[in-house]
Amino acid sequence: MEQILATTLRSAAPLVLVATAGVFAFRAGIFHLGLEGLMIAGAFTTVAVGDATGSVELGILAAVGVCMILSALYWWVIGPLGANVIIAGLGLTSIGLGGTAFALGAIFDKRGSIFTDVVLPRPVRGITSGPGVIISELSILVWITPLIVLAAWFALRRSRFGLRLAAVGEYPFSARSVGVNPSIVRLQALLIAGALCALGGAELSVGALRNFTENMTNGRGFIAFVAVIFGAWHPIGAAFAGLFFGFADAIGIQSQINITERVPREFVLMIPFVITIFAVWLGGLWRRRSLEAEAGYAELREPDY
Amino acid sequence: MTGGLQRVASTAVLVVFSLLLTVLILWVSGYRVGDVFSGIIQGAVTATGASTSTIRWAIPLLLIGLGVVIGFRAGFFNIGGQGQFYMGACCALAVSLGWREGPAPLVILCGTLAAIGAGTAWSLLPGYLRVRFGTDEVLTTLMMSFIGALVLQYLTAGPMRNPSGTGQTAASERIPDSFRITDGSGVSTTVLLLVGGVAVLVWLLLERTRFGLAMTLVGRNPTMARWQGINAGRVGLATFALSGALAGLAGAVELYGPGARLVTGFSPEVGFTAVVVALVGLLTVGGTVVAAVLFGGLQSAILFLPIVTDLPPPALVLLHGMVAFLVTIKFQAVWRRTGPGAKAMAS
Repeated sequence: MEQILATTLRSAAPLVLVATAGVFAFRAGIFHLGLEGLMIAGAFTTVAVGDATGSVELGILAAVGVCMILSALYWWVIGPLGANVIIAGLGLTSIGLGGTAFALGAIFDKRGSIFTDVVLPRPVRGITSGPGVIISELSILVWITPLIVLAAWFALRRSRFGLRLAAVGEYPFSARSVGVNPSIVRLQALLIAGALCALGGAELSVGALRNFTENMTNGRGFIAFVAVIFGAWHPIGAAFAGLFFGFADAIGIQSQINITERVPREFVLMIPFVITIFAVWLGGLWRRRSLEAEAGYAELREPDY
Repeated sequence: MTGGLQRVASTAVLVVFSLLLTVLILWVSGYRVGDVFSGIIQGAVTATGASTSTIRWAIPLLLIGLGVVIGFRAGFFNIGGQGQFYMGACCALAVSLGWREGPAPLVILCGTLAAIGAGTAWSLLPGYLRVRFGTDEVLTTLMMSFIGALVLQYLTAGPMRNPSGTGQTAASERIPDSFRITDGSGVSTTVLLLVGGVAVLVWLLLERTRFGLAMTLVGRNPTMARWQGINAGRVGLATFALSGALAGLAGAVELYGPGARLVTGFSPEVGFTAVVVALVGLLTVGGTVVAAVLFGGLQSAILFLPIVTDLPPPALVLLHGMVAFLVTIKFQAVWRRTGPGAKAMAS
């Protein structure tokens, strides 16, 4: 039981961080399918820079920087240059996956994966036996994640920026009419999203593990995006959705260990995707008119490009 | 300059720019620019078997890409080609393994029809949700694609696994050799005729039929199409069905052609690359053929003949990403920025 709980927390933390990133993008009316690419870029940069400098903090800082630069480029392409949000987002994902795999070969001269000595600090110490030992293996980012979610909720609900973001996402024209530049607000939202994706990627590579592997995100960026939809683009909702998908992942890992349970792992892994289809369908059915981001999304997503 | 020519020119510029950017990255990491280009040319055209390999990899891209073109024409994003392709291949495999003793032409026909059916079903579900309930098809086709990949993984690791297989990755049993329509190279007259015929049919459908016109109208302006008496829902469903059918067909061609068996996660990028191919082909049939050969050549050079070309395989994924990232840029938006109201347009 404790095992499943700890594995859930560990699997969920990166998902929740990236889902929070997705919430910011979604609130700005951007259907951000580049989360996966940003996440893996963050995971790789943390390992690469952390390994080179020997400091995990510098690694994370560099990862945040890289992901923010990529996010700014994404904003530039879909905003001022008018590229299609979805296609460019998928392109960003491919750039991240291909770029990190390529850099792995170019910088470390390795194929597949690299190990590193840097690791995130683990605040709970001193438990060396019993079921609690797994708790002590949770990295500091796992413990901080709930605070980040609360901060995101506060920023979206209570801050000036959050209200501007809501206006831009819901009805860019009205935002423009009161002197808010929607393009700049979208840039800010994407930069925040980039930083959060970097944290999610870092937790994946040096939080739970100590390595970087090609394609190690393995669709987690998309699952996080799904959590955004499933959580009705609310940070708390998205966090719980991420937690749930982490739980499903933990069950999948457990069912792989306990061969006696004959549920094929593939079917457990399908759960998030099947649920999403239902969630998107029902969500659209119930709150068709009140889709918060629809106006901005429709504006960005023209059929004729 | 006419609109069409301008679009061709701007797309060509963006593709070349992406290629140069990738080459620049390769150069920074220590590859010599001359070697990179000569490697690509060798691996795509001049080396032994390279041109065959180019065509072999262009075929699935073309078939799935044509499906994407059909979807985009009617204004739908079918980005789940990967899953439809996998499901098609799985169903063709099930038919072929289940009916090993059957007469080859009949089994191939049934398998291909099963593949088309599976691809259709895999895209009709998102299509139905979209047309009937307005459910966003970008997410649902993407999710169906992930599910399809997991179904393939399950089948090749479980029920259809080759028990005597020793490889690290799970693979199915091979289909009997008499069922195959090409040798290992994946190119034969039959396949070329089939794919060429499909391309011509799609062109006729899009450019020369009432239905193709209805699709284009629905894509441009659904409300207007409805006022003109077009049943937009039915056109949408047919669009999704055709789009999935082509991806399913690609799966069957892959199995009966070069594959002969299915390996977990084979051709993992083909669905996404096909979207890029369709966009680079400017959503026209002729353009898609050209783009499919172009990307098939790059794929052949970088992924399948790395010994000849000495290029790192991830560079291809990177290149595809760059092209996708940039290809939908509107040049008009760039030019117009100086004019009045430019800000409003840009945001």
